[in-house]
Amino acid sequence: MSNQNNAKLSVSNVEKIFHLKNSESIIAVTDTSFVVAENEFCVLLGPSGCGKSTVLRMIAGLEQPSAGLINLDGREIMGADRDRGMVFQSYTSFDWLTVQQNVEYGMKLNLVGRKERKERADEFINLVKLTKFKDAYPKQLSGGMKQRVAIARTLANEPSLLLMDEPFGALDAETRWNMQELMLSIMETTHTTVVMVTHDIEEALFLGDHIVFFSSHPGTVLEENYVEFKGGNRVTRKEDVLVLDGYADAERHIMRLMREQGTEHLD
Amino acid sequence: MTDKQASNRAQKKLWFEFKKPISLPVTVALGVSMWVIFFGLWELSVPMGWVTELLVPGPTKVLSALYNLFVERNFLSDVGVSIYRIIVSFIAACAFAIPLGILMGAFRAVEAFFNPFVSAWRYLPAPSFIPILLMWFGTGDAPKLALLFIGVVWFMATIIMDHTKNVRTEFIETSQTLGGNRWQILRTVVIPAVMPDVVTTMRQMLAVSWTYLVIAEIVASTNGIGAMMMRAKRFIHTDEIIAGIIVIGILGLVFDYLFRALHRAMFPYIEEHGR
Repeated sequence: MSNQNNAKLSVSNVEKIFHLKNSESIIAVTDTSFVVAENEFCVLLGPSGCGKSTVLRMIAGLEQPSAGLINLDGREIMGADRDRGMVFQSYTSFDWLTVQQNVEYGMKLNLVGRKERKERADEFINLVKLTKFKDAYPKQLSGGMKQRVAIARTLANEPSLLLMDEPFGALDAETRWNMQELMLSIMETTHTTVVMVTHDIEEALFLGDHIVFFSSHPGTVLEENYVEFKGGNRVTRKEDVLVLDGYADAERHIMRLMREQGTEHLD
Repeated sequence: MTDKQASNRAQKKLWFEFKKPISLPVTVALGVSMWVIFFGLWELSVPMGWVTELLVPGPTKVLSALYNLFVERNFLSDVGVSIYRIIVSFIAACAFAIPLGILMGAFRAVEAFFNPFVSAWRYLPAPSFIPILLMWFGTGDAPKLALLFIGVVWFMATIIMDHTKNVRTEFIETSQTLGGNRWQILRTVVIPAVMPDVVTTMRQMLAVSWTYLVIAEIVASTNGIGAMMMRAKRFIHTDEIIAGIIVIGILGLVFDYLFRALHRAMFPYIEEHGR
């Protein structure tokens, strides 16, 4: 699965240095390399401040790497573009547009014809189960629904890669696992390749085909995990994952890494 | 506890609980009461001998002066002139300040170029330009329009710049990752996101415009509401002066109400509309 030949996305020796105002600089990410395969659900996991979000933003083209190379479909990425759609943790549904208009928004930017736009929007609104709310404004929606709008809007734009930055981080626990299960059922239909940042270990183990664990200060890849205990399958109900052989070991292992790498020690 | 004590307690709760909402009838009654007290004291002030009628004519006297002004003295044309000045100068100020403010807020280079200039003008009191404006533009409408324009335009541009800077970065980045180019993002994200704040800013700036209008008309004008008040001063018609103040107040309220209605009509998707 990690074979370089079917690499969808490859991140090679990427480094990111932020220059602060007082002429100091911080190495946020250094010597980071990993490969994401076609149709893979790749999770970037690590303690807070490990630079995983910075890596995701570099893949999106919202930050420039200070060194290294990022290739998508064999071509070096240049700035942000529609082939890498991003879903943010904070709600980004445009509040002046209805659900339908939000989902059509990206297609409109890219000059997709009215009829096709509407059809595709209908399809993706249905996929995220918001058909009843397609004429509602975001103020009428719950947090989970707003994230579903963002997901539908991004997918309807047919990106080559779906990027998600802690998309469920602001949701309550119940909504969160519903959204995680919805995400898997969407993947079933659309076969999109996903790179998602999270610090939630359960979420990573449930959703990920491939977990890239980051160490902190400076951020770099500490370990990669292909969640072997799932036997290459995606489990569609969260409670069914918890009882798989090897789940507990995997969770304990990652928790220990998290503890070693974390900076927020209480003592 | 007797019933009376209980109801007293309920009464107390109703009136003086921190931040607890009160009912609509109570709200209205309280708001009206203050005005009734005000007009009552005002009406009483002459018969009670607190003031001389020459300087403080009672409300009924002012009302009859107001009626006289409109019916016999063609005051409506003065009001019309004032409203015309407000509208023309305000549209000109908006046409200049709104695009400038949005561009300064959206692009750092535009801000760096214009902001030091715009900010400096903000601290020059607009009325200080009256003498030179009179020399440049003579005595017609032009100097008044110019004063209203420079009194509003710099503040408006700066406030709109600040609002534009507050457009959420994630909105812009979302559009970028959906393939939006610079012009598309300005048109489909920045402008719609800042528009509700622009309309609120317009509403607030219109009130400032009224202030400068009255200054301009009092200092140097032969027509308009302010000019009428200065004429009335010459003949010691205090009732007409106060009538002028009341008309200005009512017009201000009407314009404010119209902008609120406009805001609600334009932005039905917003949860709370500005106060």
